[in-house]
Amino acid sequence: MDEQFDCIIVGGGIAGLSAAMTLARAGATFLLVERGEWSGAKNVSGGVLWGTDLHRLVPNYWEEEDGGWERFVNHRRLTLMDAGGAFSLDFKSDHFDAPPYTGVTVLRSRFDAWLAGKVDEAIAASPKPDESFLATDILVESVIVDESGAATGIRAGGDEFHARCVILAEGVNNLLARQVGLEKEYVPADHVAVGVKEVIRLGRETVEDRFQLRGRSGLTNEFVGAATDGIDGGGFLYTNTESLSVGLVIGMAALRESGRTPYDLLNAFKAHPAVADMVRGGETVEYSAKVVSTGDIRGVPREVYMDGLMIAGEAAHLVLNAGRAIQGMDYAMRSGILAAETALEAVEAGDTSSAQLQRYRQRLDESYVMQDMKAFQGAVHLLHSPHMTGALPRMACDFGREFFTVDNEPTRKATAILRDVRKQHIGLVDFLKLGASAARHL
Amino acid sequence: MNPDPGTPNLLSLAERLGRVAYRNQGRSEARPHIVVDTAICNSGCPHKCTTYVCPANCYTLDEMNQVHFQFEDCIECGTCMYACDQGAVAWSYPDPEAGRGVNWQRG
Repeated sequence: MDEQFDCIIVGGGIAGLSAAMTLARAGATFLLVERGEWSGAKNVSGGVLWGTDLHRLVPNYWEEEDGGWERFVNHRRLTLMDAGGAFSLDFKSDHFDAPPYTGVTVLRSRFDAWLAGKVDEAIAASPKPDESFLATDILVESVIVDESGAATGIRAGGDEFHARCVILAEGVNNLLARQVGLEKEYVPADHVAVGVKEVIRLGRETVEDRFQLRGRSGLTNEFVGAATDGIDGGGFLYTNTESLSVGLVIGMAALRESGRTPYDLLNAFKAHPAVADMVRGGETVEYSAKVVSTGDIRGVPREVYMDGLMIAGEAAHLVLNAGRAIQGMDYAMRSGILAAETALEAVEAGDTSSAQLQRYRQRLDESYVMQDMKAFQGAVHLLHSPHMTGALPRMACDFGREFFTVDNEPTRKATAILRDVRKQHIGLVDFLKLGASAARHL
Repeated sequence: MNPDPGTPNLLSLAERLGRVAYRNQGRSEARPHIVVDTAICNSGCPHKCTTYVCPANCYTLDEMNQVHFQFEDCIECGTCMYACDQGAVAWSYPDPEAGRGVNWQRG
């Protein structure tokens, strides 16, 4: 094929589709290549898509009767767990109830396919409807790099395709980013975790009754502590339209250290009394697993652009969990949009060299994505400290057991209980450090 | 008081993998997308971690404590590529036509 596209996008997940949508709307030509049979066929997330960018990409998406998302989040819960207890911070507010909503639960096989349909519509409505394509079921073998070191296209299915620039949106297992040398050849276990998940079908009515939901409202619940049996990581439970997404994210290095299997840990999590009561009677309809970036900024590739190429989404390790929300899909969306905006500007200027594409880095740095990733690195490290999965959840549950128990004996005041449980689980200096760190970083 | 105090439905790994939609399931011979040099695993790897970290248990130990690998159950998560720090795992994506791999129905 001699034709040259304005842009080639590798990967039809959220980052790639967001880039594609942005290009289609601007009338640029592109080829998006997805290795799955459909967009979403290879994609797994927890998954909540946080923020309001979906509205930017698909305006008034909530008006559609059968949109690709599951439920909007209006009820949030963070739970500290020990073996038998669950101490939660729980927040519900009607301010969450109004569109554009600030989070929706998704099942990626369905969501990405829906989003790809929206991109198809945008291509059809563009000035050059026959010059941009979403191609599925094609594996990209390599990025074509010319003798000057600039990316000029891709090799896929025995053919070569050329473009003024390439956006890699291949996901966390970023083999092409490694091929072009932006990512290390071997990414160590410290920078990733493994997520395992079951989708458990309960039926719409049961989901709504059990979790006190109305219409399309939904609950998100994250767990730390006994959720992973004290191993670095945490658990999650999200409500979908008629099912739950229940799973764990476990630090890869810690898992290797532990000698445990992710599927046995997942069973232990499901059997915890607090979780068992939520999943009871459900039928597991899918089991899945996926590596996920930890959000440690040291995991971000050396650079996210070079001559003729940019990296978006989790391929660039753009993920953050600072204790408030596990963000990754929204980062994928925003970075995909920013990469496409940079591509448009570069094509317009007739210059897709790294000097021009560094504008992508600049845009990312100016956006909430890099601002938050930088500002909350301390929180990331705090959340991965042993106390967060060990002493702290146990303290909270010991405190809860006494504070909330009425046994017709003289009752101790909260401060006395706190002092006692603190002594049982953590030294005073460590406790003060933990408090200071939380105050500084969260 | 609770009418159903039992534990939830806990599944074995085999039951879980039975709920995965694999590609090219009818094909008798699929092309492996991960190649493992088990000679490395079996000559001094201190942890043989792939045999427990892999969410699909594609890596197993025999009674002689030797590591074996099969790619047919692989769900393309990537875990082994990071967990193995001995350089035994050559990881790639399955070929859409000739390979195995997953078709997530929910994801």
